[in-house]
Amino acid sequence: MRITEKLSSNILDKVSIDFLRSQVLKNAYGNDDTVIAGMDPRMLLVWYLFFGLVPWFVDDVPFLLGCFFLVAITTKLARVAGMVLFLFVLGVFSQTGYLLFVTLLFGGDASAVGPLLILTLKVATVSLASVTIFSGLDPDKLANGLMWYGCPERLSFSISYAYRMLPLLMEEFQNVLLSYRLRGNPPSSDTFCGKVRYLIYQVKVIIHAFYPLMLNTAKRSRTTVEVLEIRGYRYAAVDREVKKIKLSSLKITNNDLMFLALSFLWVAVTVLVSTLI
Amino acid sequence: MSAVQKGTLNQSQKLMVFVLTMALYGLATLFTELIPSFQVGIVEFSVEYFLFIPLTLAMLFDPLSAALGAATGELVFSEIMLGQFGGLGELEKFITVTIGVYVAGRLVRDPKNRKMVGVAAFSGAGLQLLLGTIVDILKVQLAVSDFEAVAGLPESVFATEGFAFFNDLLFSGILFCLLPALYLVPRLYGKIEPLLGMEPRTEAVCSGRLGWKLPAGCALAFAVAVGAELLAESGLSLIDWEAGWAESPTALAAGMVVAAVVSVGAVMLMRARSVKAPMEKSV
Repeated sequence: MRITEKLSSNILDKVSIDFLRSQVLKNAYGNDDTVIAGMDPRMLLVWYLFFGLVPWFVDDVPFLLGCFFLVAITTKLARVAGMVLFLFVLGVFSQTGYLLFVTLLFGGDASAVGPLLILTLKVATVSLASVTIFSGLDPDKLANGLMWYGCPERLSFSISYAYRMLPLLMEEFQNVLLSYRLRGNPPSSDTFCGKVRYLIYQVKVIIHAFYPLMLNTAKRSRTTVEVLEIRGYRYAAVDREVKKIKLSSLKITNNDLMFLALSFLWVAVTVLVSTLI
Repeated sequence: MSAVQKGTLNQSQKLMVFVLTMALYGLATLFTELIPSFQVGIVEFSVEYFLFIPLTLAMLFDPLSAALGAATGELVFSEIMLGQFGGLGELEKFITVTIGVYVAGRLVRDPKNRKMVGVAAFSGAGLQLLLGTIVDILKVQLAVSDFEAVAGLPESVFATEGFAFFNDLLFSGILFCLLPALYLVPRLYGKIEPLLGMEPRTEAVCSGRLGWKLPAGCALAFAVAVGAELLAESGLSLIDWEAGWAESPTALAAGMVVAAVVSVGAVMLMRARSVKAPMEKSV
């Protein structure tokens, strides 16, 4: 019966939407007073470009370890929500652990562990770098930074929109789901068959809940777009003057340069160490 | 220009479809990102696929806007808002989702035809999964340096990826794409369009027929996705590459350290000056 317990407990208990919502909101809105959040998004994006790309190309263990420690420190500085870190750990280890298990199953031996560990290190470094940037930065700032680099206006609009609408959408989804549950009559979940039927019922409710949600969101997105049109969004999106005004808040301070210089120093030291070994 | 052009959506209506798909699919992927998947034996059940949302909307509205909206929504809500952005891998996901949803949307000419809707939903999901699997296999092959040398690894990658593909296709494809689309499309048809101020899509209104442009565009986009991964294949070690134009790698690395120390020093100096400067100004 362990499996059935797992079956029902995993899906049903963890979909406590309140818990998820608080974690997501904490992550998106909670940490705007950290060192990372205070930095210039353009600088951080350059920084990310290095730590998000270079580890993939390098197989040198000291270098990878050095990068990993650096991004671990920055993640600590960004004060990322616990849930996100948990997901990160789960993602990295379940992926490579599963691969290792199957490798052994297919007659691989201990020699498979080395490359897999390096792969894990690479994945961990790259994802921690992204956690630092995308979790640590205020989404609005991030959107501005991306825009400065000439990303499509749609993308930065989407980020800002998501940032503002997310709490609203989550609340609405929760309300619809709760009203379905109130009116519904769930099957009893005592036996194994009952548990399976209960699971199917839950999934069905979630899918059904999207019907009213789609209609509501359609209304809302029409309102949004109409308001945007009234304010001249589509013309403003491609206008240079408007872009200039929007981006005038970005400013590179000495803090940013310091951060880049220190990262550079650290990387240089790790490169030196790896050549000496 | 007439206010209501039959069949073609104007820009703001396309934006509406984009926003609608982005918000809904983004919300759904946010939840799936947070719910851990669970395994029974080696069969993995995950609620990974809320792909029915963009599939449904792509069948009802403009497929391209819906496809782009879905991919953007996933990127923004579940990756950027949660800080799970994975760099190159996200580009691949973005492109495969766009292709899958767009093709499914184009396949349906009449949303009232249930058979058509079912086939399109299933093949859209299947296409997306297949492309994802191909890229995944390539990715592991390229990231692990001596791939062939590791005993048992090549077979295991093909086995796990192939198994995951069929598992996802049968489980998520039917349960989370086919059935919900069959349920939602006929129900929403004619109801949701007026809310966005459009006419329901009919056979006559449906934009053009499937020409050579669609497969060509998809192939090109997929090539870009694979190309992003292939970048990693060159596998040039940072040190080797630099050693090409410097006599000794150690000397070069030492030079880098010196340069870094100098730059840190310069920043500190600038900082000290900038603290002093406002004081002088204020005096």
